[in-house]
Amino acid sequence: MKYIWLVAWREYAENAKTKGFWLGMLLVPAIIFFSAQVPIWLQKKGTPVRHYVLVDQSDTLAAVVEARLERAHQKRVLGELTDYVRKHGTATNAAPMPSLDQFMSQGGATNYLEKLQSRLKPDAPPFKPPRRDFQSAPLPAGLSKDANFATLVEKLRPYLRGEAKIEVNGQRVPLSAAILIPRDIEKQIVRPPDKSPRPTNSAAGIEYWSGNLADNQLRDEVEQSVNMEIRRREYLSRGLDAAAIREVEQTYAPFASLNPKKEAGQEAVKSVDVIKQWMPSAFVYLLWVSIFAIVQMLLTNIVEEKSNRIIEVLLSSVTPGELMMGKLVGIGAVGLTMVGSWILALFAILIWKSGEAASVTGPLLAVLQSSPLIPMFSVYFLFGFVMYAALILALGSVCNTLKEAQSYMGVITMLMMVPLMTMTFIPKDPNGVLARVLSWIPIYTPFIMMNRVMADPPWFDLVGTAVLLLVTTAGALWMAAKVFRVGILRTGQPPRILEMLRWLRR
Amino acid sequence: MNDHHPENVVPLELHGVTKLFGNFRAVDDVSFSLPAGAIYGFLGPNGAGKTTTIRMILEIIKPTSGSISVLGHASALKVRQRIGYLPEEKGLYKKMKNWAVIAYFATLKGMNRKAAKQRAFELLERYGLKDFANQPTEALSKGMGQKVQMLASIAHDPEFVILDEPFSGLDPVNQQVMEDIIRDMAKRGRTVLFSTHVMQHAERLCDRILLLAKGRKIFDGTVGEAKQTIPRRVRVETEDDIAPLRELSGVVLVRQLETTNSVTVPTTAAHWELELRDHADPQAILQTCFARGIRLRSFNQSEPTLHEVFMRLVGPDAKEATFR
Repeated sequence: MKYIWLVAWREYAENAKTKGFWLGMLLVPAIIFFSAQVPIWLQKKGTPVRHYVLVDQSDTLAAVVEARLERAHQKRVLGELTDYVRKHGTATNAAPMPSLDQFMSQGGATNYLEKLQSRLKPDAPPFKPPRRDFQSAPLPAGLSKDANFATLVEKLRPYLRGEAKIEVNGQRVPLSAAILIPRDIEKQIVRPPDKSPRPTNSAAGIEYWSGNLADNQLRDEVEQSVNMEIRRREYLSRGLDAAAIREVEQTYAPFASLNPKKEAGQEAVKSVDVIKQWMPSAFVYLLWVSIFAIVQMLLTNIVEEKSNRIIEVLLSSVTPGELMMGKLVGIGAVGLTMVGSWILALFAILIWKSGEAASVTGPLLAVLQSSPLIPMFSVYFLFGFVMYAALILALGSVCNTLKEAQSYMGVITMLMMVPLMTMTFIPKDPNGVLARVLSWIPIYTPFIMMNRVMADPPWFDLVGTAVLLLVTTAGALWMAAKVFRVGILRTGQPPRILEMLRWLRR
Repeated sequence: MNDHHPENVVPLELHGVTKLFGNFRAVDDVSFSLPAGAIYGFLGPNGAGKTTTIRMILEIIKPTSGSISVLGHASALKVRQRIGYLPEEKGLYKKMKNWAVIAYFATLKGMNRKAAKQRAFELLERYGLKDFANQPTEALSKGMGQKVQMLASIAHDPEFVILDEPFSGLDPVNQQVMEDIIRDMAKRGRTVLFSTHVMQHAERLCDRILLLAKGRKIFDGTVGEAKQTIPRRVRVETEDDIAPLRELSGVVLVRQLETTNSVTVPTTAAHWELELRDHADPQAILQTCFARGIRLRSFNQSEPTLHEVFMRLVGPDAKEATFR
């Protein structure tokens, strides 16, 4: 036993010193953190205010576009204000937030904050409204909005290319887009019964000029607002009541998702339920990635040690069995540290974030805390790891070079792909034939059962597969010990399967 | 750390040990025993079964038949803390620091972590590797790496040390260091078994040698005894006819040697080697030369080297094995 710990400790200590270990350990939390944080940062600071020039020669649409952009901005202001109130408001007196229309008609943030003063905590910092995403800029001096498009484009081109800056409120800023609405836009509107092809020789209609093709937000806002306005006018011109149509468009039949398995009165499907259904898949993926990563580590380790000839010195001090178990424990512990840190980081980030965007992270955290996901993950990780590690140790012990080992590893990888490929099907029918059959194949048991855990699998499946998994793991370990003992000192050609079977009988 | 009394225990005894790999007899009915405190040379051509025998002694592999007793125990693993082993194929953990490798192997041999670390630094300093103590082993040259591995195998001050080809890959200076380490251990009553096919080392170091070829024991005894297994020889160099010498009763065989060392002084003189019967007096040859007017350019009465003993005992097998 003492020797197993000595070998295990060295494996752990040496692996924990490698860059790969730390990268692996920090990368996943970093990815989780950044995927939660980056969109927020981008919204807050990342994207600068983008300036645009809007030339409306028809003088009929500019106001609509501006109104639309203003509304989008006010929506963000209201959102931030809601967060602000949640953070700094006194909890006892949480009044419902106004709707966007109310908010805007009642004078926006300034007015609202005045009313709010009495309900804020005394130490609340002043509210900082978000910056505008888009800010209108005047045409450069000397350029008339009535010039023809060719002239306008030619004059604006240096600004749009970033070669010149445009002046807005005394500051020189880059111009990110120019929107040109022609005088005769009315004539260019396409109306469905008219099947005549649009003229293709000229860029007819509204022109949107921008060097940034990736960011379509402004383009979309303009397009939608213009089209909405045009349709509104169309209703009017055809004698239809636009307001009535808008009301009609907002009619709907209420639709509820209900779950028959739930108690009466609790049947409504909430976001928690959806998370509960899909969360296991995330854990299957985590299980797969961690087992696969560690098993790879183990293979490299054992083959290197063998090709390094260190094995022989070790074997004069420890038995092959002690060496194998030592490696299993040591490298298993490395893996456990890594996965453990991932889960801890996930929890930490969820707890930290659950206050802000409560819609997702809150229920996620609730599911994690209340469900058997984490304990089951630990159990399946343990057995899955030992089973695959045993196979890999046996494999590694008969291979002399990593290249040799990797060709065999290819086969194992293919077999291991099955749980990944079925990962998304299982939650849809967690107690169906496919799920049940795969659960009883020991090499897939950890992954498939992990995926079914939240769907109340039959006890027979839960216990039966666990027993089978346990037996298989023990068998794999026993077999690995036999093959390892002979294989580890072997050089030259890898043995044939028949030969390895003979080793088992010794 | 050693409270045993090495002199009271026979370090190693093999009895009728045979190892089969399939139908191939790697080791064939080998028996020998090692006296305590001796330096024992384990000689033989490549493929003679030396490494296999050593692996069986260490219980890394099991013999097909026969019995092995190490430090009085049937199982080397029982006494693994009292044995040191340097394998033929040397390897170290590349990323580990030199002191850590030595300390790790010492802890595997039962030393506690702190003592092992202290001992590692001590050894590295004594053998001129102090500056490398905190570097990874991959920073070492091959010879230095081998020294580190040697230190790792003896760090726990074992009673019985087995060294498989300890000199291969070392430059003359480090070969000397290795010889010194071995002698040091013997002086302190440790028993050393080392395999080599460089006869000079065996000749300089060994109290006793064991010669193995094709898995069989060919010779077991002192170096002096080994040399007596081949006839005494006399070498003469002369331009004259040596026919009279052939007729001497003490001379068994006369052989002409190829002259290879006469580049600078062109000569017609021939080199002859005369094999003598046991107890024959080389002086009789000298007297006959004078009496029959054979003018000698040189007369050389030399002991056979271990190399010659080896070549003779192993014979064509050695060549066969070399070309395999």
